[in-house]
Amino acid sequence: MDVKWDNTSYIDLQNIINISRGDPDRILKYLNQFNELIPERMGYLKISLINGDRIMLRQILHKMSPQLQFFGIKNITTPIQRMEFEYQIMPNKELEALVNEIIAKLEGAVAEVSKIIDSNFE
Amino acid sequence: MNNLSQTNNKIKCLIIDDDPFIQDLLEDKLSQYFQEIQILAVASSGNEGIEKINTLKPDLIFLDVEMNDMTGFEMLNRLDKITFKTIFITSYNHYAIKAIRFNALDYLLKPFDLEELKNAIKRYKKYSKQNEYIDNVSLALSNLKSKDVPNHVLTLNTQQGVLQLKLKHILFVEADSNYSKIHLVKGRKELVSKTLGNLEEILNDKGFFRCHKSYLINKSHIVSNPKSFSVTLSDNATIPISRRKKEDFKTWYNQSF
Repeated sequence: MDVKWDNTSYIDLQNIINISRGDPDRILKYLNQFNELIPERMGYLKISLINGDRIMLRQILHKMSPQLQFFGIKNITTPIQRMEFEYQIMPNKELEALVNEIIAKLEGAVAEVSKIIDSNFE
Repeated sequence: MNNLSQTNNKIKCLIIDDDPFIQDLLEDKLSQYFQEIQILAVASSGNEGIEKINTLKPDLIFLDVEMNDMTGFEMLNRLDKITFKTIFITSYNHYAIKAIRFNALDYLLKPFDLEELKNAIKRYKKYSKQNEYIDNVSLALSNLKSKDVPNHVLTLNTQQGVLQLKLKHILFVEADSNYSKIHLVKGRKELVSKTLGNLEEILNDKGFFRCHKSYLINKSHIVSNPKSFSVTLSDNATIPISRRKKEDFKTWYNQSF
């Protein structure tokens, strides 16, 4: 089975295809896992932002980072790395803008993953 | 003694990480590319890790540095005895990498480059019959527990084996192209295959300062009042301070650590 994932602007599934060796069950496992874990963690990010909990923000992003890398999410490494180093000193407005920028990219990625699941596995 | 299985010669390993994605990814990579590895179990927390280690007696564990219930180091610290080898797993730039490097421990960056994973398994096989690495973990735990920084022990892997040095015995480190010469008390010197930059990264929060492109000095051995462009150390060596570093040096010297 060839999983079709052309024209994605947020994600790149090459790593998933490689590790799954084309096995559709494995591909689906990684896609479903992404769509379970990432929205849940986005929720935690939003709550932590409201609460001004910078430590939690850093921890959530740190935890998410390998999965985002693996899904080839573009232009997200730099904002996450900035949070890693500057989470204690970054001005509030900048922090809010940065986290919202990350969340927007993640929403885009989740939507693309859902579309791939719908068009290939439903 | 490690527990390398004599019956099937497989390396019995445990994965301890609280992220389901990392658990699945590492399990898939290990089972696909390393036939010699047998995954005994996957633990989702430090507490579960302790329980599984005690019951399953692994040869090797892949241990997350930062879990929700405890850090990887805290988990190791709660064990009565460490009889297995550990490969720490962490995301980039984690603050714990410094502690891992200071103690010459093995680690892998998530989401696991296949070549790095192969190299880590190769190192495990090469050293599986030696206890040095397990001793490094014990030493790391003792370093982390102690606030007495001058008595912390720096571990470096050299071609001759493992070199362990108490920080208080290091006077200064001198660059020697891709190597560094460590000058110790009583005139002893050790040449190690690390750049001065590598050593600066792991020593700069332990009372050491890069005062010159070729020198890293230990504050506890400075005996002269550094007013000029040099300092004198307890063995009478005079180390230059570069013009560019003078102000940073003053700030660092006047800080307590």
